[in-house]
Order: sequence, then C-alpha cells, then structure tokens
Amino acid sequence: MWVIYTLNGLYFAALLFLTSLGLNIILGVMGILNLAHGSLYAIGAFMAAWTIIQIVTKVPEPLLYVSLLSGFVLAGIVGWVMEKTLIRAMYKRTLEYQLLLTFGALLLLEDLIKMVWGGQALYASAPFDLLGKVEILGSVYPAYFLFVIAITLGVAFLIWLFMGKTRLGIMLRAISLDREMATGLGLDIGRLSTLAFVLGSGLAGLAGALVIPTTPALLGIGMEPLIFAFIVVVVGGLGSLKGALVGAMLVGLTRSYGIAIFPEIELPLLFLIAGIILVAKPQGLFGR
Amino acid sequence: MSNEISRRNFLKYVGAAAITVGPLTGATKALGQAKKPIAAIPIKIAAVSFLTGAAAGPFGIPADNTFKMCADVINKEGGILGRKIELLSKDENGGVDAQVKLARKLLLEDKVDVDLGYISSASCLAVLPLTDELGGLIVAYDCGTHELMEGPKSPYEVPKFKLGFKSSAHLGIDNVGLALMIKKYLPKIKTIAGVNQDYAWGRDSWLIFETAMKKLMPQVQVVKTLWPPLGNTDFTAHISALMGAKPDIVHTSLWGGDAVTFTKQAAGMGFFKNIKTAWSRGEPYPQELGKDFPEEQIICCAGTHYFLYPPPEKSPLNKWFVEEYRKRYGKYPSYPCYHAYQALYLYKHAIEKAAKSAGGWPTNEEIAKAMTGLTFPTPSGDITIREDHSAVEDVLVGFSKLTPKYPFPILDPKRMEVFPANQVLPPVGIRTVDWINSWK
Repeated sequence: MWVIYTLNGLYFAALLFLTSLGLNIILGVMGILNLAHGSLYAIGAFMAAWTIIQIVTKVPEPLLYVSLLSGFVLAGIVGWVMEKTLIRAMYKRTLEYQLLLTFGALLLLEDLIKMVWGGQALYASAPFDLLGKVEILGSVYPAYFLFVIAITLGVAFLIWLFMGKTRLGIMLRAISLDREMATGLGLDIGRLSTLAFVLGSGLAGLAGALVIPTTPALLGIGMEPLIFAFIVVVVGGLGSLKGALVGAMLVGLTRSYGIAIFPEIELPLLFLIAGIILVAKPQGLFGR
Repeated sequence: MSNEISRRNFLKYVGAAAITVGPLTGATKALGQAKKPIAAIPIKIAAVSFLTGAAAGPFGIPADNTFKMCADVINKEGGILGRKIELLSKDENGGVDAQVKLARKLLLEDKVDVDLGYISSASCLAVLPLTDELGGLIVAYDCGTHELMEGPKSPYEVPKFKLGFKSSAHLGIDNVGLALMIKKYLPKIKTIAGVNQDYAWGRDSWLIFETAMKKLMPQVQVVKTLWPPLGNTDFTAHISALMGAKPDIVHTSLWGGDAVTFTKQAAGMGFFKNIKTAWSRGEPYPQELGKDFPEEQIICCAGTHYFLYPPPEKSPLNKWFVEEYRKRYGKYPSYPCYHAYQALYLYKHAIEKAAKSAGGWPTNEEIAKAMTGLTFPTPSGDITIREDHSAVEDVLVGFSKLTPKYPFPILDPKRMEVFPANQVLPPVGIRTVDWINSWK
C-alpha cells in the first residue's frame, strides 16, 4: 500500500509543481503576487475539456494527449493580455495594489469562464479511460497518473534547461536576482516580464489541462490549487526550481500519507509545516 | 324581519345553486361568486435551483427542467383554479448571502406567490426563516439536512416555521435506509468506513448512518472516516487510504462532480474489487457514468424516486412522468426531478383544497393550513405533509446491476427494498439522532 500512497503523493505533487512553478516564476522575475493564478489554471482546465469534447470522436487517440496543450496555449495568451493591460501598470506600485488588482482579475476571469463555457460541468475523461490500468506490486493503478508524473518530469527538465542554459533564461534569472542591475545592463525588462508572465500562466494552464481527464471542469476549480501553490512557494522558497520541486513533493507526500494515517488533521498539518518553515527559515528551504 | 328571512332564503338558494352548478361549470365559476375573487393574472412561482456550478448538472438543471415541464402541463390543463403559472427560474449559485437577498427580492419586490427552492442545505437553513419574517410562502424542495425542521432538543415544538415547508423528507431516511439494507442483505460484514464531504451535508449524513449502524449492527467496527473538501479534484489519497483500511463497506454522500471523480478514480485503482460503496443519494450517478459505474453497489434513492419504481405498469403517473421527461429532455428523470414535481404539485393541491373552504383564492395562511396534513399523488406514490411541515416518504434502496436493456446499471429488480417511513423517519417532534438512540 505504501507504494501506492507514494505514487498518489507524487501525482499530486506533479500538478502542484507545475502550478507553483508558474506562480514562482512570476513572483520571482516580476515581483507580482498573482492571486488570479488559480483562474489561469481553471482556464487551462476548461480549454482542455472543451477541446477534448470537440475532437474526441474525430481524431486518433494520441492526438487527444497533444490536445491537452491547448490549456497551456490559451492560459498563456490570457496571461499575455493580462500582463499587457493590467499588470504592466502595477510594477511601481506597492503590494496592496497588486493584490487588489489581481484579486479583481480573479473575479473577472471566473465570470469570463462562466460566459464562455457556461456554468455547467464539462466532462472529458477519454484520455484517462484510454490509458487503462497498470499493475504495480499487486495493486492496480491508473496509467494516466503515471503519464502526468512523466510529463511533469519532462517539463521540469525543459524549464531547468531553459533557465540554466539559454540566454533568455539567464536574463530572466538576472532580473529576478537584481532588477536594478539588470536594467542598468540594458536588459529589456518589459519584454522579459511579459515572457515570464506568459510562461508562468501557461504552466498553470498546463496543470489545469492535465487534471481534466480525471475530474470534470467546474467553476472554482482553480481555488484549491492556488492555496496549495502558495504553501509550496512558502515551503520551497522563492525563485528556485529546486525549491518548487522539493516543496511540491513535500506537500504532495504529506497530504497523501496524512490522509492515510491521520485524516482529521491532514490540512492543518500542511499549514503547520509551512508555519514552522516560515519561522525557522523565512526565505523557504531553497530560497535566497 | 320578513325581509331578513327572505334574504337568508335567497342565500340558501344561491348556495344550493353553487353546489349543483359548481361541478358542471368548473370550480372557478362556483368560487367566482364568493367574497375572495380569483385574479385573472398569472400566479408567480419562483423556482430556485443551481443553474450554474457543481450542483447544476446533476440536480439543478434536471429539477429546473421538471419545474418547467410541470408548469407547462398545468398551464395546458387550464392552470391552477384557472390561473396560469408564470415560472421564474432563478440560480441558487453565489452563496448563502446572495440567496437570502434573492429570496427577499422575490417575496418583496417581485411579489411571487410562492418560492419553491433550494438544493443546498445551507441555502435552506438561511432562507426558510424569512417565511415568517416576511409573511411569504417558501417550500424547500430538495435540500437534505434534518436540522431544517428539527428543534434544538426532543421533543420540540412544531411547526418550526408557520409558512415554511419541506416537500421532501430529510437525509435521515437515506442513511437509516442504507443501514437497514446492509443489515438485511449483508449481515456478516465486520467493518465500515466513510468518505463524506467536509461540511454540514457530509458530516450529517455520516452521523446518522454511523448512529444507525451502531444500533443495528453493534459488532461492526468503523475503520476510517475521511473528509475530503467539497470540489476535490484528486481523490487518489482518499481511495488508497480507504483501501489500506480494508473496510467491507464504504458509506458516502458524495454528489455531483465529486461523486463522478471519486468513482472514476476509484475504479481505476481497483477499489471496487473488495469494497462495496453505500451511496446515500447515489441514484443519479449510474445514469451519469454509464457502464463506468460499478455493479453491486448499494444505492439509495432519496425517497422512492426512481424511473423504474413504482413500476410503470403499476403507476400510470410514474409512467407518464418518465416518458414525458424523456421526450422533452432525453434522459430518465433523477430524484431531484421527482422532488421538483412534489413541490409544485403540493402547492397546486393545497391551493385547490384551501380554495374550497376559503371560498376564493386563499391567503398564505390558508394555503399553509391546507398543506399541513395534505396527502397528494406523485409519481413516487402518495405523499403526506406532517404537522411539522415536512413530507413523509418511504425510502427505496437497491443494488446496482447491469442489464441488457439499459446502457447503465439499474437497481436490481430482485433486490429492491422499500423501507416504510415509520422505519426510517422519526415521529413528529423527535430529533433524528435521539430517535435512533432510543431504538431497542
């Protein structure tokens, strides 16, 4: 059973990693605490569900998995529009303004989702059903969960390559390390900020899209991931890929084991861990 | 003096004329001579259900469809005492505060004749007290909580609200029904567990089930109780934790998207191989999930609300209801549809009963008086409203089973059980938990 508990924890951690990495990049590079991050997750979820429903009977099966990328794309586009219109004006303002604005964006996006896709649940479980089950040490386990874990590892590797090895990634890191110095060196902060916001939003959208085959798209689907993503950022620390990875795994595994062993205090336990880390190491486990 | 006598005689003749002519010309005309005229304007009926959000698909939309269908049918038959129904469909989404505001607006500004509404127990608990404050008639048609009409301790005074009614029975019948079913069909089980949402609905459902199980089968152990949040998207941890605890039966009151998500993920993890689930209001999900819904699960129908019960050949009304609903909306009606029917027809029958004694269109107080003790026919059989303003219902429980005829599991006709109301519902004035604890 412990193998399955661990796999559950890793699956939850995978989705959490993608969501919190997006939040982390935006917060690290731009200094923007985006409360609407969960809504971008929801947009990814609804977009993927809608796309799958449109194409499910018409295309070969592997394309269904590619279609999950639609969540990444649309959330990225929405992120781009948000950055260009709303967020841009906030860089020089204090945190309170940002929180107000991004909270407003959260309400706006929720209503937008309702307008576009209606208020009803969208069911699109074909990718989950088609992959079937695998047997692991005598227990059966849905292969789709392993698919999500594998995709997430792939994305983590790509982001690591991008941030560590490409010029663009190094410039993004430079901004997050020292914004003034980066400006002084002549980096185009405006365009790089847009890029960071689009990438962060897209990752949230991808997480939302990946969850869709396992659960219907519903209004408010982005709330829980937002809260968990904040815990991960607190635990793992700001501006660190490693932090997001370890933070997500810590939260995911704690939740899974917590529910198995002491279900009544699973959520308080997570907040307790976050609280202890905040007191003992305010910058997070791997933050600077 | 003689003048007075002749007037009395005259009234006698008029009365006799009304009695003889009345049945021939219809109730409207007979009552037209009375002191309370029946207005020619339509009756405004508010129907408040979830039209958006998680509860829309499984409950709100089917119920709203049914309100529309029934209003349409009543209107085509000439309305209620000749008055047509004007239905105002409203969305229950947006939280308790929004619902209180909406109910105030409906009663005070829109001046609806009656507010039929509420799927969420939280909405019911918040809105029903408005009845007596504003003098408006409200019928709670679907919400499950037993706390709505119960007082703080037994025996409590009834009715709790003079103008507030509950036209379906509360969750007590579902959960006591499940316990009775388990005792009857699976007397050898040793362990149970629960997975219920972490709010009033889930907590209350488990409380009643656990209390009833302890009384009926004291040897059974509770090995795990889990409380996932409402709208949970990842049940894997809960599913494995339950599997790890190895219960014989898992009780659940999950609904809507949560019920679907849980079932799909659980099936993927091999959960149903050794564990049976007992669903307190599981009736809609086999149809929703099709063949993905496992067989041999224990399903309760929130009353005797089922498209195959009472069997169509025995109940023309259920036959008509199922066929009419299917014709219009392409699905079999689920229990919220039956609940919607009950609310609207309770109102219709009460008006017709009250109008007889009131001699015209009755006041809210007269309607409330007529509702109390009223027995009226529904597709699920006759239903009575007790002195505590709640409906008395029997409860239907069964096992899911695939048959060649339907693309989803139905309740196995050979193992359907109807537990009568006196076995599943406490007497008037006694709290459900106290009643169960008093069982010998």
